[in-house]
Parts: sequence; structure tokens; C-alpha cells
Amino acid sequence: MRTLRLFLYGIPAALLILLAAAFINATFLSVAKKNEMSIGTLGEPSTLNPIQQADSASSQVGALIFNGLIKYNQDLEVVGDLATGWKLSQETTFRFATDEAAAKALETLNTNRARPGLTATSGFSNWPIIGLLTKGTNLIVTLSQPGLKDSEDMTQALASSDLHPIPFPPLEPDGKERPFKAEPVIRFTLRDGVRWHDGAPFSSADVAFTWRAIMNEKVASPRRSDFDLVDSVETPDPRTVVVRYKKPFSPALLAWMTAILPEHLLGKLDPAKWPELYNRAPVGTGPFRFGGWRTNEFIRLKKNPDYFLGSPWLDSVVFRVLPDPLTLQLAFQTRQVDFWAVDPWSVKGLQDDPRFTLFTSPGNAYNYIGWNLRRPMFQDLKVRQALAQAVNVPQMIKYILYGHGVQSTGIFTPQMWFFDPSVKPLPFDPEAAKRLLDEAGWRPGPDGIRVKDGRRFSFTLLANNGNEVRRDIATLVQDDLKRVGIEVKVEIYEWAVLLKRFVNKGEFDAIVLGWGLGYDFDQYGIWHSSQTHPEELNFIGFSDPKVDHLLTDLRQEYARPEIIRLAGELQRTIYGQQPYLFLFVPQGSEVMWKGAYRLRHPGPDGAWIDEPVRMTKAGWSYDMEWFYRPEYPPTAKANSITR
Amino acid sequence: MTFFILRRLGLSLALLFLISIISFFIVTLTPGSPYPWGELNPKISAEVKANFRKKFHLDRPLPEQYALIMRDLFTGDLRSIKDDRPVLSRILERLPATLALNFTSILISLSFGTLLGVYAARNAGRWQDMTGSFVAFLFIALPSFWISYLLAIVLVKGFHVPILGTHSYGIGFPNAFAAGLDTLWHLLLPATVLAIGGIAAQSRYLRATMIGTLREDYIRTARSKGLAEETVLYKHALRNSVRPLVTGIGMLLPALLSGAVIVENIFAYPGMGRLGYEAVLERDYPTLVALNFVVAALVLLGNLLSDLLYAAVDPRVRLE
Repeated sequence: MRTLRLFLYGIPAALLILLAAAFINATFLSVAKKNEMSIGTLGEPSTLNPIQQADSASSQVGALIFNGLIKYNQDLEVVGDLATGWKLSQETTFRFATDEAAAKALETLNTNRARPGLTATSGFSNWPIIGLLTKGTNLIVTLSQPGLKDSEDMTQALASSDLHPIPFPPLEPDGKERPFKAEPVIRFTLRDGVRWHDGAPFSSADVAFTWRAIMNEKVASPRRSDFDLVDSVETPDPRTVVVRYKKPFSPALLAWMTAILPEHLLGKLDPAKWPELYNRAPVGTGPFRFGGWRTNEFIRLKKNPDYFLGSPWLDSVVFRVLPDPLTLQLAFQTRQVDFWAVDPWSVKGLQDDPRFTLFTSPGNAYNYIGWNLRRPMFQDLKVRQALAQAVNVPQMIKYILYGHGVQSTGIFTPQMWFFDPSVKPLPFDPEAAKRLLDEAGWRPGPDGIRVKDGRRFSFTLLANNGNEVRRDIATLVQDDLKRVGIEVKVEIYEWAVLLKRFVNKGEFDAIVLGWGLGYDFDQYGIWHSSQTHPEELNFIGFSDPKVDHLLTDLRQEYARPEIIRLAGELQRTIYGQQPYLFLFVPQGSEVMWKGAYRLRHPGPDGAWIDEPVRMTKAGWSYDMEWFYRPEYPPTAKANSITR
Repeated sequence: MTFFILRRLGLSLALLFLISIISFFIVTLTPGSPYPWGELNPKISAEVKANFRKKFHLDRPLPEQYALIMRDLFTGDLRSIKDDRPVLSRILERLPATLALNFTSILISLSFGTLLGVYAARNAGRWQDMTGSFVAFLFIALPSFWISYLLAIVLVKGFHVPILGTHSYGIGFPNAFAAGLDTLWHLLLPATVLAIGGIAAQSRYLRATMIGTLREDYIRTARSKGLAEETVLYKHALRNSVRPLVTGIGMLLPALLSGAVIVENIFAYPGMGRLGYEAVLERDYPTLVALNFVVAALVLLGNLLSDLLYAAVDPRVRLE
């Protein structure tokens, strides 16, 4: 009986004592922090293999482990990363029936090119020719600027001398024959002395391998479409990579921001084994090495003292998976994580709090309502304009984003270098909206809802569950449109359901969604009329010949001023058509404990810059690998590196 | 006895088979389908999507998918849609944390439940019992997410104590003892929240049976023999009142696994509940089917064990 009582009272008593001891221990834990940065993420990364990941949780971690050939600098300009430089060129090939014809063509181009005073208006321009030679019946012209326009000019010049090249078969199965073959070439020069985390030297073979891996069906890389047009990747020497494309495609350069994988580890390994042997313990070239991964708990990275730009100041970085937004906030308040992405409604309280530093980024995504243009009621431009003017977007920004956002003026956001600031948003004007609806034949019916040809103006607006901003948008739109005599039924579905049942099939009336697309001017997939099939992204069924042309021209244009011109025209044209109701670009806000970190990073001239953590065009966390804790200042020894 | 166990095991296997079919169809017939590329991603070509579907047999008819999933489950080839790793190793790596949490939680609910149950039965009808009943029903009624949030806010805002995960981060511990206590703290907290409902339920069961037992003739005999009240209570009455507790253990296991989903999420505890929850959101069919299978097997095993225990504590029960 004594034992029984011992158990009966002993176990609870022991548990209480343990709980009390653990609590006291937790309260008195030393506040001396290790030289470790702690970052909280809501989602668990799926894989640390950069060519297989598509989620932001994974890429956030991967960015510290890997390098691409190129990267954005803090002003969002493209600069070298593993590459020190690159040269763009293009080989245009004309072929003729005979060797003589080819030789004559060479002669023609040479004289035209040499003749002064010829401008684009007279048919020929000053072609940027850097090489001109014949190979049998082929005439190969090397241009310093890729693109189709110069080659088309040359075709005309040849035609005017009665030289007609033999066309090439089309690239796409249903495409047209091409008068010439235009093959852009990028020649990368790689950085010297870079080593993988395991000590093996990095070389051009790794770049070629990464390309082969992305194209390998077994790897199932989501980046594959970026490299579809690559014809070959050659490695004439360990420091040089030559990439040849099948046709001009200007967004292709940016694809080389893709992280490079180590051939010596993966080259002979079956991709089926990657998930266990590599993807959870990757080896890269970046500032941090992989240090450990406990699923649903943390991923720890350790500094790479041999990093090619010098050793980071932090000993380690830990990414903690904290799936609940409220507890993530609590973790920030106990300094268990160093940063916290703030919801718009909390910003005001934190702005003036002397304990924190708040970073606000302009945002690079926009929210919109997509009208399904297959539905007759949305096919009239006047109706779409009326809808845009009936919805009070500034009020939305005020009440949903608490003022932390700007009104969207089309498919690009103000952060992008090709954004056209001259586009002004349609003003909120319910009276004008009513007039437009009247003009379009939608007259108020007996119940106040507008009617045309016996049909009431009533539609269903979809949004996805779990996204409060979109749910609120739907509610406000419902209210605004009711005032101009349009009935909106709001339906909320879980994301996976929304996608499968409505979006992929294009079977919906209107939908609240958002796009966050990086800094890419190529919007072909979303707006081209060929992309309206099930599961494609022009799910609203938008089709406009002018937009189609602009989209195609844009992805073949390499010259910066031309890209700005075409992108501006694209933005204006689409905004004029109002296929979406463009709503707003939300700003992102994050807080850090004041003074928790400083930054000591290599400046553009190679000298070290020491400064507080600050906002750049590329975000406050752009130089994260160079953050340091003031209580662990960078040592002079670690500074003396050769670059 | 052996025959009983064998027969129950056989029945359990048949049941598991049925459960696997039902859970597969519930999982796959739920609207939506896996889309592992975040939100709409323009870079994903139709070809990549087709390859993905082929790889995970999503292009096959459902019955065939079921057969393939079961085949892969038993050969150990079943891979998660999320990270392409074998599902079994994903589940196994969670098992220690889950077992630690649930074992601790059962320990807490049984020990405190018994203590409070005996106390309530002893004071049946008096104010102590009334208060106890009120608190017990309150505990049963309070949702665990609410208690979790409240506890989290109080501990963090009031005491600045780290509570998430399995240990504190970014801190140098003075010695292994402090580190151990810290780990214990991170275990006891979610375990206590999970146990709150269990404590209340156990104490109510025990109180009810114990009151019945205390009215038995042999208790009166024991008392009239002049035995100490303690002896009567613990030796005679309690032993004959623990049967419902034993049944309770069998029912605790499934309840804990389902309740743990929310608590594990809030406390960022890396257990199986979270694995399942995330798999549901991601439509990770292989993980879900395998997880359902493992949990169903555990529950059936728990039931069997509780029946055996029942026979062990109550000689009147025969297993045949």
C-alpha cells in the first residue's frame, strides 16, 4: 500500500517539481547570445537542391549556400557572382545554293556595312557586325548585340541585291520557315580560385553539369522552361562557359542566376537518390555551409571560412520552422528569432517603438481581380472600365493594408526598371461607372440590379481561404459594386480546390488573386493569346493581337532602351484594356530588434563598408551574409582577404 | 489467451486493410490536387507538370493508384510528394518526439487524474467535489488551441520565457543540466496542455466508479474492522475502481494523436500531428495514406493492449 501511495502522490509531485525547475531554468537562462542569426519561417523548406525547389522557404535558405553565375546587386542591376564577366553576341547564318552566292552575299553585306550615312530609314542600319565569314554555302555573321532586327535588315539588304537565302525549317512544329538562323551566344568568364564546401575546385564543368541536370527529365526541375532554348553549353577551358541558344530570347540571361551544382558529387549519382543523399545535406560554393536539418524544427548553416569573398562574420545561421503566425511573433519577442515579417495592422504600433527597427519594402507583387473574358458580361470594355471606377481602391489600401501599399497601374510594379510611371490609375468615380454601364446597355432593374437583354448583372467572385487580404478585397468589392447596381456573390475555397476546380479549367466569373513575378519583363505566359488552354496562366482568356506582338517582340529584344519602350507600351495597352481590375501593390514590413545587427560588406570598389542594416532596392536583407552582431565585431584578421 | 490475441490480430489486419482503402479514398477524393510549386508559377511548363503527375502515378485511375501506393508502402518505396523522400523515414524521424510528447501527456493525465478522482470521491457532495466537477468540466470544454495561445502569451509577455520547438535557440547553456531542463521545459509545456482534457476526464471516470465502490459491502466491512481510512481508500476501494482508467488508456491514444495536431503547430513541436496537418494542406497523398495507416495500426494495438490490461487487472474478465 505504501508503494501505491508513493506512486499516487509521488508522480504528480515529481512532475510539478520538474515543471517548476524547468520554468525557473527557462526564466534565468543566460541572455548571452551565441554568434548565431536566427530566422523564423512559417513553411518548411521542401528541398535544399536549388534546381528542384520552387517554394520561397527553400530558396531563402539556398541563397546562403549557393551562388549563381550572375546576381542582382543592391540596386537590382545584374552583376557577376561566380562569373566575373560575360559577353553577349549572336551568330546569324544565311545559307545559299552555291559557294559563289555566299561569297557574293558577304561582299554585299560588307559594302553596305561600310557605306557611311545609311540609316535605318533607308533600309539598312549600322549593324553591330564583329565577324563576317563564309563556310562553304553558309554565310555566318557575328553580331555584338543579339536580336532579330539587324538580321532581318540584312535579309532585306541581300534581297535588294537579288540574293535569296534558302530558308531554315521552323523551330516549333507549327511555326514558320525562317530566312536565317539567329543563334545568340553568351560567353561567361568564371571567377578564379572558387572552391566547393568540400574543398573541390569549382570549374566550368559544374556549370555545364547544372544545365544538363536541369534538362534531365528525372530531375524534374521547375526551372526547365528557362533553359528550353539553350542549344548547347560548351566549356572550352575551366574558366570559360559558352552558352548557345536556338533563337533570340532576352530573358535567358537572367536564368543564369540559377544556383550551380557540384558535378563531382552529383554527376555520377542517379537523380532518384538525390533526395536522400544530397538535397538534405547540400554542398555549395556560398558564404554558409550546410550544418544540419531537423525536420519541422530547424536548418542550421555554418560559416564558410573559405568563401571567395571572405569569411562571414556570423558563426552560424539557423532557420526555424514556426508554423503558427502568432507564436512566430512571440518567438520574436523572446528574441528566439531575430526578424519578424509584420502584418500591416501591426505596423503602426511598432513604428514608434524605440526597441525595434522597422524596414518597409516597396513590394514587388500586385493584387488584382481577374474577369473571365469568356463570360459575355465582361467582354465589353466599357463594363470593365465601369467596374474599375466603381471599386474604391484607395479605401481598400487604407482599410486592408492600413495605408501600406500603392495603387497598381498594370502588370509591372514601380520597383521594376522597365515600369512606366506615366500610367495613372483610373479614378474612383461611381457616377462615371453608372454612366458607362448605362451606355453599355445595363439598365437598373426592378430590384436595383442592372439588367441587359433579360440578364441580371450578377456574378460570383472567388477567393482563396487563408488569405485574409484577398477575402477582405472580395467583401469590399461586393459592397462597392452593389452601389452601382451589380450583384456579387463571394465564394471562398481552399487554394488547392480553387486551382483545380476553377482556375485551371477557366470556369469562373471573377477571381481575386495576386502575382509576384520577380523582376522579369517577360509576361508571355500570362498574357499571350496562345496561353489560354486549361492549366495555362492566361486563365481569364485575354486575347489582343497588339499585346501578342509586343510580348513576342519583348522577349527577342536585348537593348535596354528598346525593352523599356516595349514594356511601357505593353503596360499601357493592357491597362487600357482592363482585363484585370488592377488593385494594389502591398508593401512588406519587417522588424528587427534595434541594433541587433550591423553590416560590413564589400563595396563596389572592393573596400569594406561598415554600416547599420539599411533598406536597399533589393530589400533590407540583401547582404544578409555580411550581417554581424555588434557584440561579436568583425576581426581585423578576417578582413584582410584578397578579392 | 494466445488464441484470443491471434484472433484479435487477425481481425485487426482485416480492419487495417479496410481502413487503408477508406482513408485512401477520403484523402484522394478531397477536392484539390497536389501543386508543389507554391502559388501560380509561370515558370512551370505543362511538361514539368505532366512529369510530376506521372512520377507520383497521379495520372492513373484511383483504384490503380491505391494498389501502387500500397505496393510502395510495403516495399518501402513510397515517397513523399513534398520532398521526394521515403515516407516511412519521414514518419519514423517524428516518432521519438511524438512518443515522448504523448507518453508524458498520458503520464500527466493519469497521475493527476487519479489523484483528483480519489480526492473528489472522498469528498463526494461537498464543496471540494463541486469545485472539482466545475473545474473538470471547464477543462474538458476549453479548446486546446485557446489554452495554448493563452499560456504562450502569458509566458512570453509576462516572463519572457522561450517556449517554441524542442529547445531554446541561440543561447549558450552553462552546463548539460541546464540544457536538459530546457529540453524538458519544451516537452512539459505542450504535454501539459495536451493532458488538461485527459486529467479532467480521468478524474471524472475515477470519481464515478470510486463512489460506487465506496458503497460496497466489503468497504463497510473493512471500515467496521477498524482499518485506517487510508488503507480502505487505497488498498480496497482504488484497486477495484481502476478499470475505467485502463479502458481510458486505450481511448487516450487516438485522442492524443488528433489533439496533438493543433498543439504541435502552436508550439512548433516536430511531431506526427504536424506532419499530418502539413500533408493535408499540401495534398501529399503518399504521406497521408502511410500516416493514416501507421496511426490506425497504433490505435488498434492500443485497443488490444487495453483489453489485455483489462483482463490483467480484473480477474472476472476472461479473454476467449
